[in-house]
Amino acid sequence: MKLSTSTLLNRSLTEQQLSLITRFLFGISLILIIALSYSYNEINQELVNYSEKVNQTQQVISGLNRLSSAIYETTHDANSYVFLKDTVYINKTLAAVQVVPKIAKKIDSLIDDDGAQRKRLNFLKDHIEKFCDYTERLSRPATLVNPAAVNALYKKKNQEIDSMIKLIGEMNKLEDQLMYTRVQSRDNYMQQVYRYNWIIMLVAVVFLSCAFVLLDRELRRNKFYRVDLENKIENLNRSNSELEQFAYVASHDLQEPLRKIRSFSDRLVNRHRSELSDDTFQMLGKIDVSALRMQNLINDLLSFSRIVRTGTDSKLINLNTTLAEAKSNLSEMIMENKASIQSEILPSLEGFGSQLIQLFQNLLSNSIKYHRDNVRPVIRITHRLVDGEIIPGIKPSHQDIQFHQIKFADNGIGFKKEFADKIFIIFKRLHARTEFAGTGIGLAICKRVVSNHNGYIFAESTEGEGSNFYIYLPAESMLT
Amino acid sequence: MADDDADDRFLVQAAFEDNDLINRIVFFEDGEQLLEYYIADNSQEIPHLILLDLNMPKRDGREVLKVIRKNEKWDQVPIIIFSTSNAPDDILTSYQLGANCYIVKPSSYEELKDLILRVHKFWLQNKRVSC
Repeated sequence: MKLSTSTLLNRSLTEQQLSLITRFLFGISLILIIALSYSYNEINQELVNYSEKVNQTQQVISGLNRLSSAIYETTHDANSYVFLKDTVYINKTLAAVQVVPKIAKKIDSLIDDDGAQRKRLNFLKDHIEKFCDYTERLSRPATLVNPAAVNALYKKKNQEIDSMIKLIGEMNKLEDQLMYTRVQSRDNYMQQVYRYNWIIMLVAVVFLSCAFVLLDRELRRNKFYRVDLENKIENLNRSNSELEQFAYVASHDLQEPLRKIRSFSDRLVNRHRSELSDDTFQMLGKIDVSALRMQNLINDLLSFSRIVRTGTDSKLINLNTTLAEAKSNLSEMIMENKASIQSEILPSLEGFGSQLIQLFQNLLSNSIKYHRDNVRPVIRITHRLVDGEIIPGIKPSHQDIQFHQIKFADNGIGFKKEFADKIFIIFKRLHARTEFAGTGIGLAICKRVVSNHNGYIFAESTEGEGSNFYIYLPAESMLT
Repeated sequence: MADDDADDRFLVQAAFEDNDLINRIVFFEDGEQLLEYYIADNSQEIPHLILLDLNMPKRDGREVLKVIRKNEKWDQVPIIIFSTSNAPDDILTSYQLGANCYIVKPSSYEELKDLILRVHKFWLQNKRVSC
C-alpha cells in the first residue's frame, strides 16, 4: 500500500531531523554549486588563455617561416639580377625586399616586450635593416659596373643572411618549445573543464534527486494526514450527533418515571394526608424532593448537551442586546434581591445568540445568588480590547489575535483561590444544597459556550469580598 | 382523552375528581380507538373537549388531529395536545395541524390539578357548555 512507505519514512525521521537535513542539503548544495561555478570559471579562463597563447605561438612560427621564405626569395631575385644581369629582377628584388621588414614588424607585435625572444628579434631587425640596405645597393645598376663593390656587398649581405638564419633558427626552436608546453597546458585545462562539467552535472542531479525525494515524501505525508484528519473529523461529527441524540432521548425518557414518582407521591400526600403519620409524611416529602432534584439534574444535563452542539448559524451579535435579554430573563430574581447591574458599552461580535444569552444569564444569576448577607448584590460589567498573548494558557495559534475582554465583577461571597478552576466542572458545587440551591451546571455551561466561540474564561476571587469573571472572546470570528 | 399511558389517564381522572368537577370523561388507549368511536361509527356524539397525547401506537396524535380537522362537523371542538415532549418541532407541527392548545404534562400532581381546573374554566365553562 502506498501509505506504508510514508509511515516507514515517518518512523525513521522526526519533524525536526527532517527540517535539519533539508536545510543542510540545501546549504551544502548551494555552497557546492557556487564553489564549483567559481572554479569552473577560473579553469575556463585558463583554457581560453592558453588557447590564445597557442594561437599566438602558431602565428610567430608561421611568421618566422614566412620571414625565411621572404629572405630567400629576395636573395634569389637579387642573385638572379647580379648573375644573369636581367633587369626584370631589379623590380622583383625591390618588391621582395619591402616584404621582409613588414613581416618582421608583424612578428614584433606578437612577441612579449622582454625576454630572450625580444632580444633576438631586435638583433634580427638590425640584421634585416642591413640586409635590406645591402640588397638595395646590389640592385642598383650602377653598382654592377664595379665587381669589387659587388663582391664586398655580397659578402656583407651573406653575413647578414647567416646571422638572420641563425637567429630565426633559435627563435623557431624556442617557439617550438613554447608551443609544446602551451599545448600541454591547454589540453590539461581542457581535460579539467570536461571533468568539471561532469562534476557539476552530477552534483545537480544528486541535489535534484534528493530534493525530489523529500518533496514527494512530504506531499504524500500531507495527503495522508489530510485523509486521516478528514476521517477523524467525520468520526467526531458522527460521535457528537450520536451523543446528542442519546442525551436527548435519555433525558426525555428519564423524565417520564420521575414525573410519575412525583405525581403519585404528591397525590398520596394530597388525598390521604389524614391517614398518614408524620413519619410517613416526612418520608414522602423526601421522596418528592429527591425526585425533583433528579428532574433538575436531568434538565441541566439536557441544557448542557444542547450547548455542546455549536450549530451552523453564527451571526453578528450585539452584546448589549444579549445583556438586556439576560437581565429580562432574570427580572424576578433581580427585583427580589434588589440587585444592581451596571455595564459599559459592550461590543458586537460573531457568535451564537442564544448561547451568549445563556452565558450572561448564568454569570449574573450566580453573582446575585451568591450574595453576602444583607448586602445588595452589585455587578459591574466592563470591557476592553486586549492582545491574545496576555491571556494565560492561550493556544499558540491565538497569540497574535485580539480578544474582547468582558469582566463581570460582583460583591458576593467569593470563593477560595484554590477553587478557581474547579468551579467550572459540571455539577461541581462549593456549598451544600441547604445553603444555596442549584445543580452546579451554570458555570460548566458558561465554559462550554465560551469555548464554542474559541474564547477563554477565568475566575478570580477574594473570599468574603467578591468575585471577578473574565471572559475573552475573539474580536475577529474564527467560526467557520 | 386519548393517551396510551394508563398512569396518565388515571392521574387526569383523579385531577378532575379532586377538583370536584363532574365532567364525563371517555378514555381511549390510542388514536385509532378514539377515531373509531366517534367518526367511523358515525355517532352523533361530539365531545366538548379532546385531550390528545402525541406519541401513541397505531394512530398517534398528529394523525388524529389531521382526521378530525378534516371533518366539518368537528371543527368547533377544541383539541388540547397533552404531551411529555417540549420539542419546538412538535409544538409547531401540532398548531399547524390545527390544535387549539399545547400543554406539556406537568411534573407534579399539584400542577396537574391546577391545570385541569384552568382548562375546565377556559375551554368548558367559558364556552358555556353544560357538562
